[in-house]
Amino acid sequence: MITIRDIWKSFDERPILRGVSIDVRDRETLVVLGRSGGGKSVMLKIILGLLKPDAGSISVDGSDVLSMTYPRLRELRFKFGFLFQGAALFDSLTVGENVALALRRGRAKHELELNETEIAERVSYALDVVGLKNTERAMPANLSGGMKKRVGLARAIVPSPRYMLYDEPTTGLDMETADEINVLINDLRTKLGVTSIVVTHDIHSAFVVGDRFAILDGGKTLMTGTRTEIENSTDDDVRKYISSSLSTSRTRLT
Amino acid sequence: MEVATPAASAPRTGGPLVFDAIGRHTISFLEHLGMYFGLIWWMVRNLRNARESSANFFSQMVQIGNDSIPIVIFVSTFVGMVTAVQSAYQLYSWIPRSVVGGLVIKSVLLELTPLLTALVLAGKVGATITAEIGSMRVTEQVDALEAMGFDSVSFLITPRILAGVVMFPVLVVFGDLLAVLGGLFGAVIVAHIPAGAFVAGMKASFLTRDALFGLTKATIFGYTITSIASYQGYYVAGGSAGVGKATMATVVLTCLAVVILDFILASTLL
Repeated sequence: MITIRDIWKSFDERPILRGVSIDVRDRETLVVLGRSGGGKSVMLKIILGLLKPDAGSISVDGSDVLSMTYPRLRELRFKFGFLFQGAALFDSLTVGENVALALRRGRAKHELELNETEIAERVSYALDVVGLKNTERAMPANLSGGMKKRVGLARAIVPSPRYMLYDEPTTGLDMETADEINVLINDLRTKLGVTSIVVTHDIHSAFVVGDRFAILDGGKTLMTGTRTEIENSTDDDVRKYISSSLSTSRTRLT
Repeated sequence: MEVATPAASAPRTGGPLVFDAIGRHTISFLEHLGMYFGLIWWMVRNLRNARESSANFFSQMVQIGNDSIPIVIFVSTFVGMVTAVQSAYQLYSWIPRSVVGGLVIKSVLLELTPLLTALVLAGKVGATITAEIGSMRVTEQVDALEAMGFDSVSFLITPRILAGVVMFPVLVVFGDLLAVLGGLFGAVIVAHIPAGAFVAGMKASFLTRDALFGLTKATIFGYTITSIASYQGYYVAGGSAGVGKATMATVVLTCLAVVILDFILASTLL
């Protein structure tokens, strides 16, 4: 379980998060909705200790992330997979090496002590899962945006993480590829019991993958709840956000 | 490690503008210095994490060492030739010809090869390191490394600095040999000094401590260039424009650092 309590974060004295509190339950997919630039991605980085908040607390499985020593933080990160918005593939490595890298981390003491044959098998399987079989030798520069994102997803899931963080997983993708990514996110939860946080402003995808939803607006948590609770909300700001997001989504679909 | 921008928005204090500017730049410089030494301290303290990036170390040795050989060949050979020709021109009428060999070996070992190799590599190696790490920073690849459980400093910076420290002296030894050969060529072909006299002069003036001094300088220059370049890349901000600015800053700062250190080392070690 991930517990986020009263997180504040500013950049150059500009407040981005202003007291965000969210709980993520085990084996659920929580979708964080909100406008671009609203601090959703910042929140994901704070959960992993990549950014430090100005105030607040984060706990994962009961352990306080912000007070962890660096070695413990690294151990915690082994439990997570992170799909970055731009995939963040390493340009100098092949697709296979990119995915395999996640299996080589902390090899000295981590339980994932695999030999090269086992690594190759797991890389091949992960690429097969994301629909990119036999692309191990391709270079990231030669891939389309959608393919890069799928490689990024393969890299995130290959060590079998307990938690997945998705930063705008369907942004910039065509409808067909976006739907494939949504199916993969759902499969990870239903088949492997992965707990996920999906950050997006694509409400169509959000409703496909989400169990519960948190809406961020102006750096604050506007509302947290199920789809039904959000759609039936009487809060003006929530209704305004949902209606504008749905109309944008419909425009995109047509 | 979190990216910070030193003194990016220090408040105006209301004093005369010139003092205001001096104050802000001094604070910014000190903050950069603190962050630089913080990064190096982090690297030293977590040296064992670098085991995960041993492959990076070897690829950096190739990039810094092997890939720099062509430019070192050109620079060293021509520096040796020019030194021989100019020495012969300046001293020809009133000293024995063998002195030219002595001047070449002294100049090359003590000063010219380590300094010029460092200045050339400050541009080539330094700019490459900053551009590589900086691009990784702005495209979230550094965050991706950390998110996967890697220590990004140990993974990206430690191999580059160690490779610089190992390969710069190797390149300087290689450059010394080529500069001596270039000097011999220039002395014999252009200045018409007998090869035997040139070699005799070299032998008479050669001191092992001169060669060791040059190698010490090369090691320190290797560390300085790769560490400044890595720092600039690691803390880059402002997208691709920021990478460009950081790369330019690396070339300027490393060249300045090299010439200042060159003077300090000559003053203290000779």
